[in-house]
Amino acid sequence: MKILVCIKQVPDMESRFKPDSAGVWYSDTDLAFRMNEYDEYAVEQAVQLKEQLGGEPEVVVLSVGPDRVVEALKKALAMGCDRAVQVQDPAAHLKDPWQIASAIAAYAKGENFNLIFTGLQSQDRGSAQVGVTLAEILGIASVTTIVGFEYADGSVTVRRELEGGLKARVQLKTPALVTCQLGLNVPRYPTLPNIMKAKKKEILTLPVGELLHEEARSVTASFYAPPKKSGGIVLEGDVAVQVDQLLDILRDKTTVLR
Amino acid sequence: MDFELSQDHKLLLDTLREFVEHEVKPIARRIDEEHQIPDALVAKMADLGLLGSYLPDAFGGAGMDFLSYILVVEEVSKACASSGVLISAHTSLCCGPILSFGTQEQQERWLPDLVSGRSIGCFLLTEPDAGSDAGSIKTSYRREGDEFVITGSKIFITNGGYRGTGIVFATSDKTLKHKGISAFIVDLAAPGVTVLRNEEKMGIRGSYTTAFALDQVRVPAANLLGREGEGFRIAMDTLNGGRIGIAAQALGIAEGAFERALGYSKERKQFGVPICDNQAIQFKLADMHARIEAARLVTYRAAWLKESGKNYTLDSALCKMLASEAATYVTKEAIQIHGGYGFICDYEVERMYRDAKITEIYEGTNEVQRVVISKLLLADH
Ligand SMILES: Cc1cc2nc3c(=O)[nH]c(=O)nc-3n(C[C@H](O)[C@H](O)[C@H](O)COP(=O)(O)OP(=O)(O)OC[C@H]3O[C@@H](n4cnc5c(N)ncnc54)[C@H](O)[C@@H]3O)c2cc1C
Ligand SMILES: Cc1cc2nc3c(=O)[nH]c(=O)nc-3n(C[C@H](O)[C@H](O)[C@H](O)COP(=O)(O)OP(=O)(O)OC[C@H]3O[C@@H](n4cnc5c(N)ncnc54)[C@H](O)[C@@H]3O)c2cc1C
Repeated sequence: MKILVCIKQVPDMESRFKPDSAGVWYSDTDLAFRMNEYDEYAVEQAVQLKEQLGGEPEVVVLSVGPDRVVEALKKALAMGCDRAVQVQDPAAHLKDPWQIASAIAAYAKGENFNLIFTGLQSQDRGSAQVGVTLAEILGIASVTTIVGFEYADGSVTVRRELEGGLKARVQLKTPALVTCQLGLNVPRYPTLPNIMKAKKKEILTLPVGELLHEEARSVTASFYAPPKKSGGIVLEGDVAVQVDQLLDILRDKTTVLR
Repeated sequence: MDFELSQDHKLLLDTLREFVEHEVKPIARRIDEEHQIPDALVAKMADLGLLGSYLPDAFGGAGMDFLSYILVVEEVSKACASSGVLISAHTSLCCGPILSFGTQEQQERWLPDLVSGRSIGCFLLTEPDAGSDAGSIKTSYRREGDEFVITGSKIFITNGGYRGTGIVFATSDKTLKHKGISAFIVDLAAPGVTVLRNEEKMGIRGSYTTAFALDQVRVPAANLLGREGEGFRIAMDTLNGGRIGIAAQALGIAEGAFERALGYSKERKQFGVPICDNQAIQFKLADMHARIEAARLVTYRAAWLKESGKNYTLDSALCKMLASEAATYVTKEAIQIHGGYGFICDYEVERMYRDAKITEIYEGTNEVQRVVISKLLLADH
């Protein structure tokens, strides 16, 4: 069995973001980067499956981006992936989800993966498109937002999270792609010995130009901070009046009382 | 010259920060109040590899460099200085000398258990009447057949309460002074080893500081570390490296307090503005940051010197002195920035203030560091 995990490196979300000079994305100077949170669930699930199957599957981890993404790849290797692929692209942030998925698909086509794990979405762009688009290009089944995963005899059973707290069970045959959601598992900490062992694992570098021949289908026209919100609503009057006002607001503006 | 951490160090930091945030920080206050690091946390630290960061993988260690070990102690100490010193004393003061001076057999016999946390390491040098003047220890040993018999008392032993593995220093003849001292690897659960008490302390209260009585403790001749008479050199060499670990602990304490003070200064409003809008607070933040960064550079450089096999005696004394003084200064100012809240236990900077003080004292008081530094500066005088 061959498994692919697609990961993205994203900034620490507590950073202060400033638009870049072109005003189409954030400037990445002075930012600390880490593995996209949802992708950690993807890596963990792939490694758990490898362990479940006695170590037989080969787990390949892939990331598209500039050289700093190697740090995220190394973390995935230290968590238990077998080898890594960096699709080297210093301008990955200017590519749309279609192009990212196309580049990954160009690599994945020749490799015949039985299972592909991706995060539900990236914490920075949040498009949630790369996983499903990749599955579509490869012509394989896909299911999003999984919070439970089981594998037996070539068949995958996942639990999905639906609106309003509902859950669904979905079965699919491999080859298949799943996108992972918070709650799926608790990602392991890479141990210090495994960080060292990861240094010996292969990291293949493929220039994006060798894989990607697609034009962008969408572009980010501008990136900006929203205007500062006014200071919120302050209710006044006696308590009974305030309670009525609050109930009206909760009814009109939120779903809590529906 | 390159001041950038390597990608592997950054990955290590990322792991450490996540681990500390989830596993250590939430219980740091409880560790202080209950005077105990939960065994479950010690086990988790061992599983992650924090008890053997720079030990070779042949013994179950991670085989990382010395700077990695420094980052481990620093990051853990940011949240909990007691846990930081557990790692530091265990690694530098017990695993360290076995690795540097032990025979292949001794390394194979003791290091795997230490690295895996099955046994926690200690260093037993200090005695009631021999602190800074470690050459004057009175604990004695004599040879009997293929055993050594050790008798005396040891005080202030970090990690002593675990009764794991100890490096015990004893003299064959006190009149020989430091030339009479030898080092032994001793099982602290062996017959004749008695824990007199675990001390009540001002800070690092989760860390054991133990007084031992050693009464005719019999250790096999194979437990002699190095040669007879080499003990004092082993002790000094061990403390030389250990001080960089204490500098890292102090640095971590200072950084933990600074992070809190910086955050608090932006949130706390008085006179209608955040208190960080006052130059009085701004200058405090600048001074705190300056001392932390200076201490960090010297500490990392000392680690780099040690790793590169260069002489680091002066730098380890220097970084221990600078970092510990940064820690007491920064934690004091962190309380001041917190105003009355800083004095209240809920805000945790008061614990950091109490924890910081010991770093100016153990593994050589800062006066002793100044003696070391000035002696080297005046070596040709
Ligand atoms: C919490 C804690 C943990 C410890 N852990 C360990 C451990 O694991 N293993 C271990 O062996 N020891 C340990 N120690 C002991 C520690 O290293 C000693 O306390 C320290 O070296 C100082 O010795 P002392 O307490 O006897 O002070 P003293 O040596 O009596 O010093 C008292 C004062 O005199 C000053 N002084 C002494 N000599 C000179 C001099 N020549 N010039 C100038 N000033 C001088 C000192 O700087 C100090 O200010 C620990 C101590 C504590 C409190
Ligand atoms: C143990 C204890 C006992 C107490 N007992 C009493 C009591 O009996 N009765 C009572 O009424 N109160 C009491 N207090 C409250 C005490 O007087 C206040 O904590 C103190 O006045 C500081 O106020 P604060 O804690 O709100 O800090 P803040 O006012 O929030 O100060 C935080 C920091 O900002 C600095 N700062 C604030 N404004 C400025 C400025 N304009 N320029 C420069 N720096 C500034 C402060 O100096 C401090 O470093 C007690 C407090 C404690 C901890």
